[in-house]
Amino acid sequence: MQEKLQSIRERALERLNQAADTGVLEQIRVAVLGKKGELTALLRSMGQLAPEERPAMGQKVNELRALIEEKLAERERALKEREKEARLQKEAIDVTLPVQPRTSGAMHPCSIVLDQLLTIFTGMGFEVVEGPEVEYDHYNFELLNLPKNHPARDAQDTFYIDDNIVLRTHTSPVQARIMTTRKPPIRIVCPGRTYRVDEADATHSPVFQQIEGLVIDEGISMSDLKGTLDAFASRLYGEGITTRFRPSYFPFTEPSAEVDLTCANCKGAGCRVCKGTGWIEVLGAGMVNPKVLEMCGIDPGKYTGFAFGIGIERITMLKYGVPNMKYLWENDVRFLKQFR
Amino acid sequence: MKVPMKWLREYTHIALDAQDYAQKMVMSGTGVEGVEKTGADFSNVVVGRVVKMERHPNSDHLWICQVDAGEPLQIVTGAQNVHEGDYVPVAREGAHLPGGVKIKRGKLRGVESCGMLCSGPELNVPEGLYPHCGNEGILIFAEPHTPGEDVKPIFGLGDDIVDFEILANRPDCLSVWGLARESASVLGECFNLPEISVREDGEGTFDDYAKVEVLDTENCPRYAARVITDVKIAPSPMWMREYLYGAGVRPINNIVDITNFIMLETGHPMHAFDLDKVREQTIVVRRAREGEHLTTLDGKEHVLNGSMLVIADKENATGLAGIMGGEESEITEGTRRVLFECAAFERGNNRVTSRTLGIRTESSARFEKGVCPETAMQALDRACMLVNLLDCGRVVPQAFDKYPHPAPVRTITASASRMARLISVPVPAEKMQEILNGLHIATERDGDTLTCVVPPYRQDIEREADLAEEVLRLYGYEHIPSTLMRGETLAGHRSPRQLVLDKVKRTLVDMGMYEAYTYSFISPKWIENLGLKAGDERLNAVKIRNPLGEDTSQMRTSLVPSMLSTLAMNLHRGNAEARMFETAPIFLPRQAGELPEERLSLCIGMYGEAVDFFALKQAVEELLFVFGVSLKIEKGADGYYHPGRSAHYGTIAQLGEIHPDVAEKFEIPRRVYVAEVNLAELGAQETPVGAVHELPRFPAVTRDIALVVEEAVPAGDLLDAIVSAGGKHLEEARLFDLYRGERLGLGKKSLAFALSFRASDRTLTDEEIAASMEKIQAACAGLGAQLRK
Repeated sequence: MQEKLQSIRERALERLNQAADTGVLEQIRVAVLGKKGELTALLRSMGQLAPEERPAMGQKVNELRALIEEKLAERERALKEREKEARLQKEAIDVTLPVQPRTSGAMHPCSIVLDQLLTIFTGMGFEVVEGPEVEYDHYNFELLNLPKNHPARDAQDTFYIDDNIVLRTHTSPVQARIMTTRKPPIRIVCPGRTYRVDEADATHSPVFQQIEGLVIDEGISMSDLKGTLDAFASRLYGEGITTRFRPSYFPFTEPSAEVDLTCANCKGAGCRVCKGTGWIEVLGAGMVNPKVLEMCGIDPGKYTGFAFGIGIERITMLKYGVPNMKYLWENDVRFLKQFR
Repeated sequence: MKVPMKWLREYTHIALDAQDYAQKMVMSGTGVEGVEKTGADFSNVVVGRVVKMERHPNSDHLWICQVDAGEPLQIVTGAQNVHEGDYVPVAREGAHLPGGVKIKRGKLRGVESCGMLCSGPELNVPEGLYPHCGNEGILIFAEPHTPGEDVKPIFGLGDDIVDFEILANRPDCLSVWGLARESASVLGECFNLPEISVREDGEGTFDDYAKVEVLDTENCPRYAARVITDVKIAPSPMWMREYLYGAGVRPINNIVDITNFIMLETGHPMHAFDLDKVREQTIVVRRAREGEHLTTLDGKEHVLNGSMLVIADKENATGLAGIMGGEESEITEGTRRVLFECAAFERGNNRVTSRTLGIRTESSARFEKGVCPETAMQALDRACMLVNLLDCGRVVPQAFDKYPHPAPVRTITASASRMARLISVPVPAEKMQEILNGLHIATERDGDTLTCVVPPYRQDIEREADLAEEVLRLYGYEHIPSTLMRGETLAGHRSPRQLVLDKVKRTLVDMGMYEAYTYSFISPKWIENLGLKAGDERLNAVKIRNPLGEDTSQMRTSLVPSMLSTLAMNLHRGNAEARMFETAPIFLPRQAGELPEERLSLCIGMYGEAVDFFALKQAVEELLFVFGVSLKIEKGADGYYHPGRSAHYGTIAQLGEIHPDVAEKFEIPRRVYVAEVNLAELGAQETPVGAVHELPRFPAVTRDIALVVEEAVPAGDLLDAIVSAGGKHLEEARLFDLYRGERLGLGKKSLAFALSFRASDRTLTDEEIAASMEKIQAACAGLGAQLRK
């Protein structure tokens, strides 16, 4: 009986070790521990033993049963782990297979830039204000110190509807409308389409967009203008981009300035984009001409202000390196798809 | 305005080279377009003396020349006008000539040739700059020069020309003197105006020769004139031709050149009349008669109106004042007596006349920006000085000068501290005084108060802010510090219109569309192409009086044509699919003299393999959804849509496939889909998200129903019937299957709906659901629907 026990043990453990899957383990369990199993049979045949041998033998059989059960469980865990690994491996996919074509479209690059500008300026406390594109000469020119037949009108070749109505040549008339209807403090930006008699070419378009800013309050000075534009420049183009002011002339500001920004391409070192100067001419600005304040009913003795005008197309072209303004107006989807 | 550096240097000291000088001017407010050298298109061309000439042994027309060009050179030439002893321009080996020609050593029919003898045209020497330089043969120098010397100075070439961009507020800088004066102020140098003194060597006085009547002193505030007798017309001297050419003016003859020279140097346009061709030697400055005819110097005939100022003789208008002279009294070879006119004409009147007649000249360009009457006599005398200098006539004593209202002296009182605050730069009052004096603005100081006398030619300086700018630009804009605004903080925000646009764009972009920008003005033909019915408001457009062309001559009353044109362009460029939108106003006229209505609109356009009516409908419904607007779709839209594939949502939107006839007019040979949305109305009807619903605690009960109906019954009608009959517990009804087949019978279709019922306070019973389903079935039966078996 002793030998029999030994051989059950040896065979069972050997088979266990060789079992390739959990099905075989089940067969072993049935064959050894099952109701008709070898060990069960052995236990039943214990009656043949002398009564004094029975407890010792019974204990041995039970020990063997426990051992096999433990080994079975152990082996089962190992096999299940291996089977899971195999399944996972089999389930592997080619992650490099392409997905469906992109589903989101894009805003026009100028809208993207305008959106950034509005975020920057509203963050500085500016209110967005709009006005008509077909505008009275009175608001577009006269209130801005550009009387009829003034030579400075030459710089803004104008589309006329009749003697008194024009396509606005800048968004400044919105400022005139606000100045004549509100009291300071005023802090507004006016985005929108503007028009000038220019044939379309690489840097011109008869329809283009501007955003103009106007601040009027007590004690506003030229350094506030510079600070505001410096903030705009670094937020739109990145840290380290600042402004350079050059004297200029606009009838509605005095003093006036052309404002250059550090060339974002070379960070001011000088390159092809900035023609080696390190600066890019971007916008016009100045202190609101006291004559304009007066005409709009604001006391120039009490209030001062600044104004600036930015060409959206120009800064969009600089930001994205767009080589030709025509790209912005012809709407080829292959161009528009490059934005997000 | 182009100015040779040499000319500027006659009147002030400029130590900087042209580039650095230009930069300095830019940073102090005088724009510079660029700097270039004259004669930059050739190099390495020197004076050569032809020492010996022999016939080429293998040619009957070539010559072998031994030339002294600072070094002995053998050059073969085909020219026949060269002789031994002539001085000629020689392009040496390695020379560059205009047109990209490079001179190399070579052999001509076996004889070595080391360079080329040049003609005037080969060097692109402007006609009139050097005698006979327009001739075809080799250019023979009129005088001997040192062999080997650069030829450019001989032609008056090689100087730096600065192209200034003079802004509208500084007409005083449209002259060499003005720019030299400005340069002197900027560089801290002296401005050396030449002493003006005329040698009056003619006989008699002005009145013995001519009479001037100024009938409109408002538009002609000053008229000065002098008479020159014994005129000898000849070419001007080299130095004058060089300056004129450098400034971009073609030299003609001494008298004409003097008038141009004076205009460039002093900023005063002048005119020279052949006095013998002026009837009765009388000049009348008057308004034109309505309908009066005039032929200008350029041979063009004009019909004038009563507001235009003319120069006339006793009978007829002979010139347009300050714009262009007439043919009759033009200076010719035979001119013997000249009347020089140096006048000031009112800029507004000048500008209107020049615009109306479409004539712009160097002269009118100056008058319309403003010519200072104060200095007219100085300019006229300077012209007579040149007559003396060039010895081309005799100046008659006494000038005519009508200047009834001399400009008063303008004095401005300013506060130095207030100016410093405005420019944010603490320039001391003494420094301000120094700067202003340096600009010839005579300034006295009493503590903080500056009293400034503005020179007459600085019409742009009117008040303190103007003086502050003068101070700042000379002190340096780089001193402006950078600060952020103090004071009351304001709540910045986007406009309601901007918020609507943001939402529309975000929604459509998320649906895979690209935003387009197109012109706001279009061709009238594009609107015609839509075939709108008579009386449609879109047929009446805002017209542009001076459009770039017919194609862009009216403000659009619809975004559809621009969209179709954009889609067509993409199609023709081979883009297989396009889904685009544009947001912009359309312009609808109101009464004459009023501004038009600008109605903010949206247009969506698409074509492509995966695009159909329902892709478009989805976009429109998505928009309605995000704006919280619920509107039912109804059949039909404007006539430019496909009659069976178009629909509208109230007055807010319409959409559909474009009618093939219209698509063809826009050159789109395939199905194309367009939607239009009135954003002004959509924005106005926007409803915010209200209080949220609690999440349901009881399960929903679902039922499917399949109905067979006639083909003509719209799915929407069935759905409406289901929803209205379903009662308050019908939570959702969704079409999930549309089937047509033989088994249903011809002209029939089956529509299957998934219905979901739910109550908020309990689980619905089968009986309740059955009752609802019965009602639904009955309602659908009203549309002829039968349950599908």
